[in-house]
Amino acid sequence: MAFREINSKMIEASVVPGQRLFSQRGAMLAYKGDVSFTPNMTGGQGGVMSMIGRRVANEDTPLMTVEGSGTVLFGHGGHHIQVINLAGDTLYVEADRLLAFEGTLQQGTMFLGSQGGVMGMVRGQISGQGLFTTTLKGHGSVAVMAHGGVFEVPITPQRPVHVDPQAYVAHHGDVRNKLSTALGWRDMVGRGSGEAFQLELSGSGAVYVQASEEKL
Amino acid sequence: MFRLQGSKVLAVDMTGDAVKAKNGSMVAYDGQMAFKKMSGGGEGIRGMVTRRLTGEQMTVMEVKGHGTCWFADRASEINLVSLQGDKLYVESSNLLATDAALRTGTSFTGLRGASQGNGLFTTTVEGHGQAAIMSDGAAVVLRVSPQYPLTVDPGAYVAHQGNLRQSLQSGVTFRTLMGEGGGEAFQIRFEGDGLVYVQPSERNTIAGDV
Repeated sequence: MAFREINSKMIEASVVPGQRLFSQRGAMLAYKGDVSFTPNMTGGQGGVMSMIGRRVANEDTPLMTVEGSGTVLFGHGGHHIQVINLAGDTLYVEADRLLAFEGTLQQGTMFLGSQGGVMGMVRGQISGQGLFTTTLKGHGSVAVMAHGGVFEVPITPQRPVHVDPQAYVAHHGDVRNKLSTALGWRDMVGRGSGEAFQLELSGSGAVYVQASEEKL
Repeated sequence: MFRLQGSKVLAVDMTGDAVKAKNGSMVAYDGQMAFKKMSGGGEGIRGMVTRRLTGEQMTVMEVKGHGTCWFADRASEINLVSLQGDKLYVESSNLLATDAALRTGTSFTGLRGASQGNGLFTTTVEGHGQAAIMSDGAAVVLRVSPQYPLTVDPGAYVAHQGNLRQSLQSGVTFRTLMGEGGGEAFQIRFEGDGLVYVQPSERNTIAGDV
């Protein structure tokens, strides 16, 4: 595991030769050893084509490549950091929430409309995700930022989980998500409970939820 | 059935029963849940009118169902309070959730409320059950006994419970009037027997400026 949590807002990553890390540009706090930081024009992995893909999808957070040997401390904006370990499955996360991830992971973008069609696009708009989201696949660990603490809710086929779109951070596993509306006549007359839209996640995996309804 | 998950998230396990929570504070749930807004805090027409008049408005929803529901609000620290027939006094903005069995109401605080910067009235929670209150930073619980009265900065006060008398203390002197005050011109003094919740942060109050 490449990332170690020092406290809830700071992580330490060990860099060894031949293993790259990607991190958000400017998120390095301190480092020991011989480590180089190169801005990553393409904004992550893949060639120019995936760069264009990310630009178009507006998922092109400035990233940098971290190489060398030593240890690096990462943190950003006083946000809470959650380290997620992936073992072959796919993590879906917003690009601006990504703090750092291992080079062994495969990065990609996903069109939300491909999951649920028009409702998928509506869902992206409501949860502030836009039309696209970033995917990370493979074996390795990811550091994700959130406002307030993060907790993990397991999803099993028998128990779908509903999440407030504003508090949603990321999810992994074989999970289908759709926007469920609980709009009733009460919402129409201004008597809503403030929970009219929810993300319904079903399948098997886990969802990460932050202790706040504020975006980053 | 209230439990804390970390210090900022409240998890409530429900089996067909109900809880009252601040509007829009749900972050996730599993199982089946229904959310319904309760006008005027669920205290009937009289409570609603009282709340409107006193400015202690709170928008409360009733959550009912089977499963686990998680609540959080702007990453505030959450404290659990269990009530055995006693009364909790808390600002409506600091109240996150209560058992449906608990009664809520409003009470007059007098000059103390004005010095805290949140009005002349406060919310009371009464009965048997659990409540969750929020604070800016982890709150400390201070015990007050007849031998040991407690004095608190109005801006750091969150809630209190038990049989307590409170009075406003002023340290206004000639120096304060000259603009040389120490920034601690007003304090609330608690006497009696009970608990006071204090947060490690101060709201903006009139008292804090002089």
